Amino acid sequence: MKRLMSLVALLLLVCGGLAYASTQLQKSSGAANGKVLNLYNWGDYIDPALLKKFQAETGYHVNVETFDSNEAMYTKLKQGGTHYDLAVPSEYMVSKLKAAHLLQPLDRTRLTGLNNYDTRFLNQPFDRGNRYSLPYFWGTLGIVYNDRVVKPGTLTHWSQLWSPKYRDQLMLVDSARDILGMALVEQGHSMNTTNPQTLLAATKRLDQLSPNVKAVVADEIKMYMSQDEAAVAVDWSGEAAEMLTQNKHLHYVVPSEGSNLWFDNLVIPKTAQHYQAIYAFLNFMSRPQNAAQNAEYIGYATPNAKAKALLPASVRNDRQFYPDEKTLRHLQVYRNLAPRVVQTYNDRYLEFKMHH
Amino acid sequence: MKKLSRLYLVLVFIILYVPIIYLIVYSFSQGDTMTNYHGFTWQHYRDLFADPRMLAIVADTLLVALLSALMATAIGTLGALSIQRTSKRVTRDVLLNLNNILMVSPDVIIGASFLIFFTTLKIPLGFGSVLLSHIAFEIPIVVLMVLPRLREMSPSLLSAAEDLGATTHQLLTKIILPFITPGILAGFFMALTYSLDDFAVTFFVTGNGFSTLSVEIYSRARQGINLEINALSGVMLLFSLLLVGGYYLLQQSSRKRRARKREVTP
Repeated sequence: MKRLMSLVALLLLVCGGLAYASTQLQKSSGAANGKVLNLYNWGDYIDPALLKKFQAETGYHVNVETFDSNEAMYTKLKQGGTHYDLAVPSEYMVSKLKAAHLLQPLDRTRLTGLNNYDTRFLNQPFDRGNRYSLPYFWGTLGIVYNDRVVKPGTLTHWSQLWSPKYRDQLMLVDSARDILGMALVEQGHSMNTTNPQTLLAATKRLDQLSPNVKAVVADEIKMYMSQDEAAVAVDWSGEAAEMLTQNKHLHYVVPSEGSNLWFDNLVIPKTAQHYQAIYAFLNFMSRPQNAAQNAEYIGYATPNAKAKALLPASVRNDRQFYPDEKTLRHLQVYRNLAPRVVQTYNDRYLEFKMHH
Repeated sequence: MKKLSRLYLVLVFIILYVPIIYLIVYSFSQGDTMTNYHGFTWQHYRDLFADPRMLAIVADTLLVALLSALMATAIGTLGALSIQRTSKRVTRDVLLNLNNILMVSPDVIIGASFLIFFTTLKIPLGFGSVLLSHIAFEIPIVVLMVLPRLREMSPSLLSAAEDLGATTHQLLTKIILPFITPGILAGFFMALTYSLDDFAVTFFVTGNGFSTLSVEIYSRARQGINLEINALSGVMLLFSLLLVGGYYLLQQSSRKRRARKREVTP
């Protein structure tokens, strides 16, 4: 009994120590003075140095909390009990949050950096007039290939993926909208089609791709490609950028006939509290210098035109991640489709995966 | 046959430990990914200890684990005592099964229901909500660890003590608790590891700047996990080894003590 008690006392002592350490650590990063901003972001999706700079400049300490999927974030925002001042949903999730009345409109009069943004990335169908969101990063869907198998410059169109040359060489990212979207674009249709007939035709076309498909995989695609397990892959630009740094033989191309254009955006949830800090942060992140620094850290494409101008020429002129005007014009943003249509997409995609 | 069984044992241990060792070896690698080993460096450990946010999360995670395990052990032990004391068989079975249901129900469901529970009661999400939910899912584990030990105890031991004039209080502190101490310790350490491990429940009830390690690491997956996390895994493994060592020492000392007692009382 005595021993148990002394054990309990010891544990409580350790707990006290840990609690002290935790508060000291938070204080040392300046969280205790009440001037805070609660940012709900993807894991490791902002340069920590920028957070320090922001605090030094404005005195606001940024509490970063992280999520791993749009859906998980949606659940947390919807249920309440939290006070996030800013969140970073992808474009379709912006529409969904908006429809659920979980967002607050941006006060345009308090935003100072709006004209730094490239107008081509503003006023998108998921948020007309940017009433609720500011673009944070953008990217595309495209083809990654290994130049040891595919001669650079020869693979530039979706339809070439169907060539018997690439038999059992192709990896697809496991995503219904993206893979069906690819087949739709290949046939000259919109990636947002709601016509069941068109979708059926696209599925038929996808079935013809089966002999070339080595695997349909998720995150592992990065590992497989950088280890030369497959010659060609269909994946997002963000993932591609990472593969390219790991394997010098890989290249990324966005087919000029069209592809998906995706965005991650900054929004203000309904439960926000620190408005001074929010607008200070939005304006801070819109400043070309800071946006450029963040883009260099993350490696995704920035929608901030003046920031892009500050990036090294090798990045700025990289057609893989900043496609030319012509390609850009053909890119399509996903619309939030009716649940019935989403179901059709998922069913068709499942059929393709089963046949494969 | 004996050789074969030993070989099998070695093989199983290799399969269990190689991934962890692989992870830790790469925590000393220069470079940013786990694809190629680039030579020794302490850099990732330096990064880790220079990152106050990460260290605060580690401290919070350990704090929640220790504190919740402590409280769950106290509540769970009392629960086990009362289940054991229930004389009606039906009630006892019902209580035990209610306890087991909590053990087998998926974490995601427990987490989601806690989230709804806390938000309807307007309890702010953060340290408190995480602590409470961890205590809640750890209690059944402690009960399950303590109960077998209680069952082993012969009732004549208690009757003998009563005959010699022990009060209820003495019965509990001098007879029962010392006897079930191994069970209590086992329950505490199981609860501790459950708390350190948990992602699903914790994800739902974290909020307002409070986070734990599993949630933080999991949400880094989209960007690809950097080697700082490997370094952290190394530190955590060291911590677990210390825990296991501590558990072993505790067991050893209680065994010795018992042996000594037997010598003294003829």
